[in-house]
Amino acid sequence: MVATQDALLAQMRRGTLQYCVLSLLADEERYGFDLVRGLAEMDGMVTSEGTIYPLLSRLRRDGLVESNWQESPSGPPRRYYRLTERGRSALDGFRLEWRRFRDAVDYFVERMESK
Amino acid sequence: MSTSADKLVEDYLDRLERELTDFPSARRRELVQEISEHIAEARARLESENEAEIRNLLDRMGDPADIAAEARGPAPETTPAVAPVERRSGALDVVALILLLIGGVVIPVIGWLIGVVLLWISNSWTTNEKLFGTLVVPGGLALPVYLSLVAGYTESCGGPVGGPVTCTGGPSPGMRAAGIVVVVALFVLPFVTTAFLARRRSRSLALA
Repeated sequence: MVATQDALLAQMRRGTLQYCVLSLLADEERYGFDLVRGLAEMDGMVTSEGTIYPLLSRLRRDGLVESNWQESPSGPPRRYYRLTERGRSALDGFRLEWRRFRDAVDYFVERMESK
Repeated sequence: MSTSADKLVEDYLDRLERELTDFPSARRRELVQEISEHIAEARARLESENEAEIRNLLDRMGDPADIAAEARGPAPETTPAVAPVERRSGALDVVALILLLIGGVVIPVIGWLIGVVLLWISNSWTTNEKLFGTLVVPGGLALPVYLSLVAGYTESCGGPVGGPVTCTGGPSPGMRAAGIVVVVALFVLPFVTTAFLARRRSRSLALA
């Protein structure tokens, strides 16, 4: 099966996007819109901004993030997300694995290209 | 706010709502509300609001079907099927044997019943061995313990103060002797069963 460029990207995003969300929450709490824009700033990370909300809901149910409502200077109250202890250790675990994985892929892909 | 922009957003949210019909209403409401607030905030940041801008904004939100698919959870990945491992929980077997013996004494009836359940779900014993463990003796040590207590209570003794004590309701001496033999047997049998099942278990482990 030949994956199109889009399908390839979607596949790679599937396993990694949630850790990018956790990373964005590592140092500060953010509300949905802010979080989504933070992700979308990076080219190729998010194609459908709306899909972040179900993802956030899943992370909440899995206990990786927690949320609370805060008044906003304008408009309705906002739901702020923050990392839980569990989320933090999941992120740490991912970082470790990701570096190994990235180096391994780089080793093959980059070496072949330079030949 | 232009009405055509409102209409576009409204249609989008309607479509999202329809895509989520199979969700519990609380989750559907929450998700639609979050998306709607996101759109409202994005609109508020637009420099000029025209139809093209709104369409662009909704495009960035993504197809409602995609959002619903994400909410349904990631497509089941092809995780390697875990071969059904034969469960051989040593600790549970030991608990089963202990509960069969004294469970009924600690928690009347229920303690022993839990032991029976553990005995039957274990695969360390054959069906015949399980039957033996269940029937010899039902209740384990609880049965002889309660029998001796009940035997003590049916006998009531009394009499005038300072007068001779008379006991009524007690069994005749012959019955009493037979009763003692039965109760002693009932005390011994559960231990025999426990020892038997423990030996059978180590044999079945050796074969495995």
